[in-house]
Parts: sequence; structure tokens; C-alpha cells
Amino acid sequence: MSDNVLLTDALASRIGETASYTAPEPIGRASIRYFALAVGDRNPVYTDDHAARAAGLEGVVAPPTLITETNQYMTGPRDADGFLGHSWHLDVPNSRLVRGGNTYEFTQYARPDDVITAHWSIVDMTERRTSKGVPMLVVTSRAVYTNQRDQIICTNTETLVYTSLAPTPAAASEGPA
Amino acid sequence: MSNETRLQVGDRLPDLARTIELPDMVAYAGATWDWHRLHYDPAYLASKGIPTPVIDGQVFGALLVEQLQDSLGPRAFVRRLEFRFKNLVFAGETVSCVSTVTEMHESDDTVVLSFDCEVVVVGDNARVAVGPASAVVVLPR
Repeated sequence: MSDNVLLTDALASRIGETASYTAPEPIGRASIRYFALAVGDRNPVYTDDHAARAAGLEGVVAPPTLITETNQYMTGPRDADGFLGHSWHLDVPNSRLVRGGNTYEFTQYARPDDVITAHWSIVDMTERRTSKGVPMLVVTSRAVYTNQRDQIICTNTETLVYTSLAPTPAAASEGPA
Repeated sequence: MSNETRLQVGDRLPDLARTIELPDMVAYAGATWDWHRLHYDPAYLASKGIPTPVIDGQVFGALLVEQLQDSLGPRAFVRRLEFRFKNLVFAGETVSCVSTVTEMHESDDTVVLSFDCEVVVVGDNARVAVGPASAVVVLPR
């Protein structure tokens, strides 16, 4: 543990932190159609009630990954980079952030009249080394998306990877807060 | 009767290829309320030493869902989708979703199919964009 370069005690103390965002209004059919159009997905279950019912659904549904974009639950303002969505604002000095990946587990489709809440939590932070020996901090977060009936629609486990930019691992080890 | 019952372990779904240009990225940014400059702002990109706008990686998840559902029909429900980002993809590049059946479990009322997936960039600078990736899809019988 004393070998950790990026994972300071201050950062580690944030494991377990939570944040929740509830959309100000239902998803709406226009948002669903816009997303499908932007992706280029012509599946009619997103836009045509008849096609959706023929597929055994009650009516049009949202493309599964639409609700996992947290920006839509925010009311602003955007930050200087233009970003509006959820962030933990982790202070990892002298590092570069890249997205690791996502695991989505979908339990049902979201519907146009659903009001979504995203329940985020920091599940874990682990310091590892890249194949070249460079320290990296892997932050695992989880978001559970529920509707207005508290039914789970999706669970999203997401990893963010902060890779040290220090020339040598030792040089990055300046006193943690 | 339906296509899905003809699938077998080892079968590869029809690839889904898509060229993603700047207007498509702007549309996706709008549709997801994500106005991060990384996806469209030349001055911002230049300040970061990035030559071309970067495609939002989440769109590849949406494309994998599209490929699975287009291949398996409107009753198919994607229950699980897991992916890791391997390389950035830039405006104007063409990606292709490649998915192969790895497992198939039939019960009285459902068929559950597992897939190995990958999103690759095709063309001059071919590389893996997303992988490894996997999906589980449930089909009613």
C-alpha cells in the first residue's frame, strides 16, 4: 500500500461515495426518436407503436443505452469543456484519464413516460501498473437507473483509468494530501 | 420459424458497418445532451494535441445493440452488454461491429444467446476500437 503513487488516502476515502440525479421530466418520445435517428438505428420499436406492439411491447421503447447517458438528468450549467453530466471530480494529479469500459445489465426497456433516476456510487479504486510499469488508478463506479416506480431498468458498471504522466513512478510520489 | 432458431454456436451475425462523420457526432452529442468539446471543437482539440474530433465511445454500445436486434428480430432483448475501449476513433472513420455466437441455452419459453463482440475500425488505419466485448440476448420462443 505504501507503494501507491496515485491512490492517496484522500482518494481512497471516497470509495462508497454516492450521487443521485432524477430527470426533471419523462424521457419523451421525441428524445427516443432523436437518439435512434442520431445513432442511425431504424428499429421501428423505438418510433412506431404498432411495430412495438407487434413485438410484444406495450408501445414504443427507448433504445437500451439511451438512459445511461447521465447528462439528460442535469439542469446545467455545462463546464468549461462543454460537459454537463455526472463526474466525481477526482483529483488525480499528473495523470491522464481514459475510459476503461462499461458493463450494462438491462432488466427492462424504458418507456417514453418513465422518469429516470440515476443512482451512482464509487465501488472501488485500485492502483495497478501498466505493462510498462507505469502506475494507473482504476476507478470502478456503478449506476443503477430506476423509473418512477423504483423498478430497476439498468445497472451500469463503469471503469475510469487514470494513468500517471510522471517520467518515473518515483517522481510522481509527491506528498499526498 | 424465426431466424434466431437457425443460429448455432460459432455463427457470425451480419456485420454492421457505419461511417461516422462530424454531423453524426454532433447529432449524437445533442441526443445525449453531451456537449463536450472533445467531440467537435477544433481549437480545443488542437490545445490537447488531438488532430481530429473524437467519436463518443458510447455510440459503439448503441451500434452493438442495433446489430444484435437487427439480426435477432424485434422481440430480442439485450440483457447484458459488456465492452472495453481499446482505441479512440476519429471523425470520418468507418467502424464495423463483429459478433459471434458463443453459447446458446434453450428453455421452454426462451432462448438465451451469448456473443463475443468487437468493434473494429476499417480502412487505412485498421485497429480494434472496442474489445473485448460480449453480449447476452434473450429471445422469447
